[in-house]
Amino acid sequence: MSETTTPLTPEAGAPSAELPAAPQPPGSGATAAAPRGGRGALVRWALWLLLAVVMFLAPVYLPGQYLTVGTWVMTGAVGAMGLTMLVGQAGQLSLAHSFFLLVGGVSYAVLSGDGSDGFIGLHLPTFVALVLAVAITALVGAAFAPVSGRLSGIYLGVASLSLVFLGWYLARSLPSLAGTTSSGRYVEDLHLFGFYFGEKSPSLYVLDVPIGQNERLWWLFATLTAIAYAVARGAVRGRIGRAWRAVRDNEAAATVMGVSVVRQKAIAFAVSSSYAGLAGVMVVWWYDGLLKPDEAVDSGTYSTSVAIAYLAMVVIGGVGSLGGAILGSAIVFGMPLILPLLTQGDGSGINAVSGTDFSPVVITNLIYGALIVLIIVFEPGGFAGLGRKLTARLRRG
Amino acid sequence: MGSSKIARTLAVSTVVLSVALAGCSTKASTSNSGGAPAAGGVKTDVGVTDKDITLGNLTDLSGVFKTLGLGITQGTQMWAEDVNAKGGICGRQIKITSQDHGYSAEKAVPLYAQSKGSVLGYVQLLGSPILAALKKPLTDDKVAVVPSSWASTNLDVPEVVMVGTTYDVEMVDGLSYLLSKGKIKEGDTLGHIYVDSEYGKNGLKGSMSFADAHKMKIVQSAITSTDSDLTSAITQLKGAGVKAILLTTTPAQTASAVGQAAAQGLDVPVFGNNPTFTPQLLQTPAKAALTSGNFITVAGIQPFSSDAPVVKDIATRYKAKYKDTPTFGPLVGYTFGQTWGAILKTACDAGDLTRQGILDARAKTTVDTGGLAPSVLDFTNLGAPSTRAVWLLKPAEVEGGLSLVQPEPYTSDEAKAYKTPFQK
Amino acid sequence: MSILVQVLLNGTGRGAIYALLALGFVIIYKATEVVNFAHGSLALFGGYLTYALKSQVGWYLAALLGVLSAALLAFLLERLILSRAKLASQDSLAILTIGVDIIILTEISRRLGTEAAPFLGDPYQGIRLSILGATVEGPQIVALISAIVLIGAFFVVFRYSSWGLAMRAQSENKEAAALMGIRSSRVTSSAWAVGGALAGIAVLFIATLPIAGGAGLTAAHTIAFAAFPAAILGGLTSPGGAVVGGLTVGLVEAFSQQYINQDFAKVAVYLVMLIVLVARPSGLFGRVEQQRV
Repeated sequence: MSETTTPLTPEAGAPSAELPAAPQPPGSGATAAAPRGGRGALVRWALWLLLAVVMFLAPVYLPGQYLTVGTWVMTGAVGAMGLTMLVGQAGQLSLAHSFFLLVGGVSYAVLSGDGSDGFIGLHLPTFVALVLAVAITALVGAAFAPVSGRLSGIYLGVASLSLVFLGWYLARSLPSLAGTTSSGRYVEDLHLFGFYFGEKSPSLYVLDVPIGQNERLWWLFATLTAIAYAVARGAVRGRIGRAWRAVRDNEAAATVMGVSVVRQKAIAFAVSSSYAGLAGVMVVWWYDGLLKPDEAVDSGTYSTSVAIAYLAMVVIGGVGSLGGAILGSAIVFGMPLILPLLTQGDGSGINAVSGTDFSPVVITNLIYGALIVLIIVFEPGGFAGLGRKLTARLRRG
Repeated sequence: MGSSKIARTLAVSTVVLSVALAGCSTKASTSNSGGAPAAGGVKTDVGVTDKDITLGNLTDLSGVFKTLGLGITQGTQMWAEDVNAKGGICGRQIKITSQDHGYSAEKAVPLYAQSKGSVLGYVQLLGSPILAALKKPLTDDKVAVVPSSWASTNLDVPEVVMVGTTYDVEMVDGLSYLLSKGKIKEGDTLGHIYVDSEYGKNGLKGSMSFADAHKMKIVQSAITSTDSDLTSAITQLKGAGVKAILLTTTPAQTASAVGQAAAQGLDVPVFGNNPTFTPQLLQTPAKAALTSGNFITVAGIQPFSSDAPVVKDIATRYKAKYKDTPTFGPLVGYTFGQTWGAILKTACDAGDLTRQGILDARAKTTVDTGGLAPSVLDFTNLGAPSTRAVWLLKPAEVEGGLSLVQPEPYTSDEAKAYKTPFQK
Repeated sequence: MSILVQVLLNGTGRGAIYALLALGFVIIYKATEVVNFAHGSLALFGGYLTYALKSQVGWYLAALLGVLSAALLAFLLERLILSRAKLASQDSLAILTIGVDIIILTEISRRLGTEAAPFLGDPYQGIRLSILGATVEGPQIVALISAIVLIGAFFVVFRYSSWGLAMRAQSENKEAAALMGIRSSRVTSSAWAVGGALAGIAVLFIATLPIAGGAGLTAAHTIAFAAFPAAILGGLTSPGGAVVGGLTVGLVEAFSQQYINQDFAKVAVYLVMLIVLVARPSGLFGRVEQQRV
């Protein structure tokens, strides 16, 4: 068994000493190994500050389409951070993430909707609806415990995939909750202290740039991603993270050490689902308040392909690594959206098309597929593995 | 390098960077370009210059609907070439910029954000999930679009310019035709297989309304768009003793339904909405069943093989220019262009080529397609389909795979009386 | 009565195809512990080559070449890519196969362009038999017969040949097998080739009107996804389980399509699988993983 392999399943081998988010080395990609003392902390804070300034100013400079790509990546990042904790820290494979996105989105729509057009809506304030939607998704995740407690590895993965099928079927059967498959249902974006994040005709200007929906969602999503990251880091470094890793590495040993395996597995699923629930609400906001069940179970916003895509983000980022999950989302969610934007330009280039042409989306898919293969062949530890290598090299040289 | 040095460098560069960035935002300069100067007395805002009118084309050129998307795109291109050869519209040349979303809503959202700033409107928008995702942004931005889907439930906003009749009206016309030919009778039980989406549900609305008026019973069978084997759906309908099968399905599903009906000995007439057929089906093993005479369909456009001069002209040029199997797509795309052309002319006459000007002009426009569409297309009644007439078609071994059942268009009395959901 | 027979026949016909796919899937998993997400693409690849060649060399030779090419592709995949990623965990390798899957699927869809979807059942497409008032169609009959013959042959080879012994030894204990002189790489790459060949055979039945409807070859990728629950249900380490799983999935699907509805049928397959897993966490015939403290 090699050192860099990150065990996923309990039986996969000895506990690895080099875990991406093990207590000692900070797992964040940006902050390199901090030598003891205040100066390292200073560097770290400076870097965080720089990042905050860049994120704050980005909407002022980036054109709208790149902002939508950015917010989509952040949506994926929040979801992927939840999944990477479940898969990498607690060692439980899940292919149900898109189901929990759907639960989050539907909960938010039902709680915040105004009950018009025949849809059920409780008309709660949007912020309250957001918090409750995340809580509900966490409970649904915990309710999967009887199954997740019994299964492990790929069996658990495919078992959880059945939730995606179930969610797809229920959403289609309950249009008064989830909206119709044809036109969905609309709900409001977030209102917070009188600030409306879905504003279309803004009166707020920053550096002469009108701050409308795209810009506001960017700030909102960036803030949520930062909060999600901070909370996850706390969980992983704390007591709960240690318990998860104990369960992951050896269930029997964990029990001997006094860790309740069933309880920790349920908690891991609940935490992971709550992240997916938040991401699900973000998806609704991203689609301008639209919640729409998918037409088919294998393609669409909450489909099996999205469930697999989330797992891909986690693996590409480096299983268990929070910073890696964000980079994974940039590849899996960002890349397929950004390449068509770059290659289609003003759109006049693809006029003489035929059915067998390499259209921009065909090229995008080919590059995307090849990238996944290359990353895993050359850096099996994902971005986190790459980060570790770079850090080690920097420290040495 | 000491870390305090790094920290200092970073802090300094942070400040410098913020100041530098704050200096020059490209978004700031564009944000103030509200009302452009009037050139030649015509008001303009987005996508129109003194020389060009730019229209967008947001479609599927690589995903599951690429055959349709490609055909329509080619048709709109041919229309633009024709118009430009005659000097353009309002003294301006037509430019069409195409974007491929591969039938994915999340790809379409940024693509729309990218193109909306440079186009007046969209000559084609393909895909019901994409239309659903973009409908609110489109109405917020007052952008007129011609959707490549024909559900009357999307006629609730003036921005949606639907060229040709809707699925529910098609279904009413088709059933009325079957009734008039004695192929079905009052009180019959009919089976309707439909994709559980905007498309299928709209078709079902039509069949339910017709069945209500004629004391018929509809056995419903909902499927998803990726189902391709309808064996069990047909077994079910056979068990229910249906006298006809109605299809609001994908072409692949049509082949399966018609093929299975023949295999299981269910010898009844089959009527399908316009998107149920493509000529490619005649190269599948379902060919014999499709051409047996049981299957008929309708379209808002002449078949590719038609003798009408306008069709012959386009068909000849199409074959010279493109290598793809001709479908109804290119002709449909051509009428999409004609509709935009007519609206642009109305808007030009009113001296207003702004987005609002286009929406105003749309409500005053009727379009003569030169015989491509079954009637004049009338956009003055918001919420109602632009026509209620259809061409009745049957599969045949000709180019485009379809031939006319009767030479003249068909409009039933029931279709004239039928009220679409947002009709005023 | 005839309806019931019809449903039974529809389910068994499809089940035989799922069994072929699931068996290939299980063989690959058994040898390498990699979940092959590219299984649908292997089928698509073999089917595409059969289609591309059949007008030149005739159906039988084309079908043979198609099956061999799917086997070769799987073999190369293992040799050139998976075996190079030595440091990657099995789950990373599973994600790697997704990348491969995307590439093959995209490229073949592009090549098909706007032409009619290919159909591959030429010799048996038109056959139709009547049994107790129900219709069985050629592809279903031939699929069933081929599945019985191939699966039977596989079990004989698996049990009695040195290859089968090597494979079983390796899946029991890789290190011990290596010490006994079993060349690990030969076993794994041949397992991939066998899995690919089975996918290439299955597609010859999938791309027909009774199974794929009018979508022909283009439906192969979606249909192959059913091999997933089938393999899991039977137990990923059990070739016999794959066959039982395939048939179960086919029958559950057919019965719920008939007696509930088309949409529910997709869920029903997974619900049955979930129930089986809760009762037996390693599938019906899967090896129970042992915990070492």
